Amino acid sequence: MELGPVARVWHQGVPEMNPIVALLIFPGGLFVLTLGLAYEWVDRKLLARAQNRVGPRWFQPLADVFKLLAKEEVIPNDVNPLLFVGLPIAALAGALTAALYVPIFGLAPAYSFEGDLIVTVYLLSLLTLCMGLAGANTLNRFALVGATRTLTQLFSYEAPFMLALLAPAFVAQTWQISAINSYASTHWLIVTQPIGFLVALIGLMGKLELPPFDAPEAETEIVAGAMTEYSGRGLALFRLGKGVEMVVGLTLVAAFYLGGIGGPLDFLLKTGALLIAIVIIQALMTRLRIEQTVGLWWRWGALLVLVQLLLYILWEVVTA
Amino acid sequence: MSTNLVESVIEGLKTWARVNSPWVIHFNSGSCNGCDIEILATITPRYDLERFGIKLQGSPRHADVLICTGPVTRQARERLIRIYEQMPEPKFVIAVGSCALSGGVFDGLYNVAGGIDQVLPVAAYVPGCPPRPEAIIDGVVKLLSSLQQPAPETAPAREQGATQPVYEGEAI
Ligand code: SF4
Repeated sequence: MELGPVARVWHQGVPEMNPIVALLIFPGGLFVLTLGLAYEWVDRKLLARAQNRVGPRWFQPLADVFKLLAKEEVIPNDVNPLLFVGLPIAALAGALTAALYVPIFGLAPAYSFEGDLIVTVYLLSLLTLCMGLAGANTLNRFALVGATRTLTQLFSYEAPFMLALLAPAFVAQTWQISAINSYASTHWLIVTQPIGFLVALIGLMGKLELPPFDAPEAETEIVAGAMTEYSGRGLALFRLGKGVEMVVGLTLVAAFYLGGIGGPLDFLLKTGALLIAIVIIQALMTRLRIEQTVGLWWRWGALLVLVQLLLYILWEVVTA
Repeated sequence: MSTNLVESVIEGLKTWARVNSPWVIHFNSGSCNGCDIEILATITPRYDLERFGIKLQGSPRHADVLICTGPVTRQARERLIRIYEQMPEPKFVIAVGSCALSGGVFDGLYNVAGGIDQVLPVAAYVPGCPPRPEAIIDGVVKLLSSLQQPAPETAPAREQGATQPVYEGEAI
């Protein structure tokens, strides 16, 4: 990758770091959690401004998480207690592990190998899967409906989202996130693959269950969806996991489509721009019914990405 | 000594988080709906309660504060108690409206058990028929500032049997 002098030092600084520190505190662990909370605040604040409100204070997500951690955790009757306690931990662990494979804060990924793109995409799905299972684990009818919707939505956006992330991999001819990142730093793929970019961005919103894809947790219909029975610690861990997933997802889309991520400034600017785009879509759209979501993804999302892939293959054949 | 310091820091953090992030749930135990409409007005963008960290939740499991309106009818009493029991500790009850305070115009009816405090331990009372949104916000803020004092008398505790309803009449 072509790097400026500062970025080069920055990139080389990581391997010298103690692996425990790298894993638990700086590029991974605590740092990603804090970043997740910060991005959640930006999301909520901008959305509030779009609705002509003042919005939450800067420490709001942190206070929410602390409060939830300090609360009593009620384990309802007739659930499998092991699953009830274990699923939030697995969800957060999946999201945090995914953060190790992407260029968080413009740093080289902590781990990198050929094919880590696939691993990351599946690790990101782990959170949604855990939420669905957590809802299905309880006997609460709202949680059951929420779990069904969560899993239905997972199956609808997953294929288009994955295809949209694979399109840059095709062009860069590698399955390695860092290699695609360095390829993208010389090619702005948003110009050559605008459809893929749109599908990836909107797929990310589906993954994070943001409006208009918040049918799985529609508070006006099914209370809180799959999370209805969770209180205290479990809820806090799921929320933290969502924040981390947001950071990882934004990093992936920015690295693939917005000209790669070469340094901290690059990271903040590009993911910030994507976050603003997401907030605008959230503020403009109303909630889609679950079958509208499924229809949108399979009739339009998947088809459009496939058409784009076909065009790319034709182009390769013609120019060869 | 150092463990004391750590403990007090953790306690301080807990109180800070609790005061800054109260999530509320709203229950109507027999109100004429006037108070409920004021509560809905309170959570609109005009008053924007999110700046205090207040969020309306649908699930009792997520809530810290139970906002009750109306007198407790004998039919709603069981449900009110059940909702309260479903909330995780620590939890607080705010009674909104004259009827929630004392039964109001419904006081003495054959089907009414009385105000909210006949059934649940109430931490804050907001009078008015119905109270304005400003009054409701004031009640919530007063409750939150009372949390910062070391041991608020009004704080309910399950082990003290405070959730035991005072009113023991038969449900219809
Ligand atoms: S206080 Fe007034 S508005 Fe509220 S429930 Fe009673 S009668 Fe209705």
